[in-house]
Amino acid sequence: MSLPTDSTQPRLASGCRWSNSNGEDKTLLFPEGALRLQGTGKKIVELCDGQRTFSEIVNALQADYNASDPAQIRQDVAAFLEQLRQKRILDY
Amino acid sequence: MLPNPLALIAEVTHRCPLHCVYCSNPLEMAAARSELGTEDWIRVFNQAAEMKLLHLHLTGGEPLARADLKELIAAAHTAGLYTNLITSGIGLAEPRLAALIEAGLDHIQLSFQDSREDSGNWIAGTRAHAHKLELAHIIRKQKVAFTINLVVHRQNLDRLEEMIALIETLQPDRMEIAHTQYYGWALENRAALMPTREQLENSVKVIDAARKRLEGRIRLDSVTPDYYARYPKACMGGWGRRLLLIDPAGKALPCHAAGVIPDLRFDNVREHSLQWIWEESPAFQQFRGESWMQPPCRSCDRRTEDFGGCRCQAFLLTGDAAATDPVCSLAPTHHFIEATLLQMNTERLPISNPVNIFSQQRNNENAPPSAGAWLYRKNPS
Repeated sequence: MSLPTDSTQPRLASGCRWSNSNGEDKTLLFPEGALRLQGTGKKIVELCDGQRTFSEIVNALQADYNASDPAQIRQDVAAFLEQLRQKRILDY
Repeated sequence: MLPNPLALIAEVTHRCPLHCVYCSNPLEMAAARSELGTEDWIRVFNQAAEMKLLHLHLTGGEPLARADLKELIAAAHTAGLYTNLITSGIGLAEPRLAALIEAGLDHIQLSFQDSREDSGNWIAGTRAHAHKLELAHIIRKQKVAFTINLVVHRQNLDRLEEMIALIETLQPDRMEIAHTQYYGWALENRAALMPTREQLENSVKVIDAARKRLEGRIRLDSVTPDYYARYPKACMGGWGRRLLLIDPAGKALPCHAAGVIPDLRFDNVREHSLQWIWEESPAFQQFRGESWMQPPCRSCDRRTEDFGGCRCQAFLLTGDAAATDPVCSLAPTHHFIEATLLQMNTERLPISNPVNIFSQQRNNENAPPSAGAWLYRKNPS
C-alpha cells in the first residue's frame, strides 16, 4: 500500500483511456479490461488529470458533498485511488 | 436478448517469422493468398465498434507481416476500439513503432520465449531473442501500454525466476505468464512441453512471490495449466458469449481452435455482417447456453462458471465436442488426462539442452528448421 499524499498528482496510467461513448456512465479502457464508472467514482477519476493534487481532488469533492464528514471523504478517496493504482489504471 | 461480445480477436495473418513449438495456431493455416484485404478488415472493425465492442486484439501469426497494419490500427482507433497488438516484435523498429502509436495503438504485447538467448532462439526456431531485448527498451520509451508475455513449459520452467527477473528489468506495465495451452502445434509437441507436477507447483510459488514483490509496479497475470487443474477453464468466457474471432481468411470462429471441430459451419465476414454472425451463425449457436450439455455438466453447479470447459479440447481428447472437458475431475473421460500426466511424470522425458539449429543449411529462410525434440510451426503457403 502507498496511499496518496496531499501533493500527489494522480493521472491515468499509460494505455488507460476513456472510451468515446458518451452518457451517464463512462467506460475506462485499459489492457485486457474495462471499467464502467458512474457517480462519484466517475467524478473522482475525471479529476485525476495529472495536474490536480490529491488535496485539490478531495476539496472539490467536499464542495459537492458538503454534508459529509471531510475526514471520511479523504479516507474513501485515498482508498479508491490506491485500488485503481494497484490495478495499474492510475499512476502517482 | 443476446448481449454483444466484449472484444474482437483479429488474426490478420497466419504468416510468422517465428516457428514457436508451443504455437496454438491451427495445423491447417490460412494461405497468404486467402487473406482478407484492408477494406474488408476496416469494414469489420467499423461493424465491431457499432456493436459496442470495446477491445480489438490484433494477432496472428505475426500482424507485422501485414504491410497495411498502420492503416488497420488507424481505422480501428477512429472507429473507437481499444487496439492491442500481440507481436513477436520481428519486423518492428523505432520508426514503424512510432507510426503505429501515432495511428492510435493503445497497447503492445511483446512475447519472450526464455531468459537465455540460445534457449529462446531454440524454442522460437529462429534468431529473435536479441532483437526482442532491444525492442523492449524502445517500446518503454513510447507512450503506450506495454505487456510482456511469456509462455512457459517443461523446457523453460526451471528458469522461471530468472525469466521474471529479466522481464522486470524491461519495465513493462504488465507481465503475462501463461502455461502452454495444448492446441495446434503445442498439442503435437505435448510430450516435450508438459511440465512435471514439481515444476508446476514450484511455478505457482514463484509467481505468487513475484506478484507480491511487483505489486503496484508491474501487474502480473498468469494462466494455469488446465491439465493439472481440478476444474476446467471457462474457455473464451463461454462459447459465443464474450469473444468473436476472425481468422485471416475472414472466417468467424467462437475460438481460435474451433476449426478442428468437424461439422461446424463457419460463416465469413465477406458474406455476412458481424452482428448477423454473432446472432445467427450456426457455429456460434452450437454450444451457446446449456442445452447441448451432457452429464455431469448439465446438472453441475459450476456450469454457469466454466460452461463445461473447452469444446475444442473436448473434441481433441475425446472425439466428442459436446463432452465435458476431460481436464475436469468430474468428467467421465478424466482418466485420459490422468494417464497422460502419469506418463509425463514417470517417463520424465528429459529437459533438453538447446540445439544449435542455426548450423543447418536451409534453402528457404521461411521454412522451419528440422529438429529431433519437437515439431516447429510451419508457415502457410
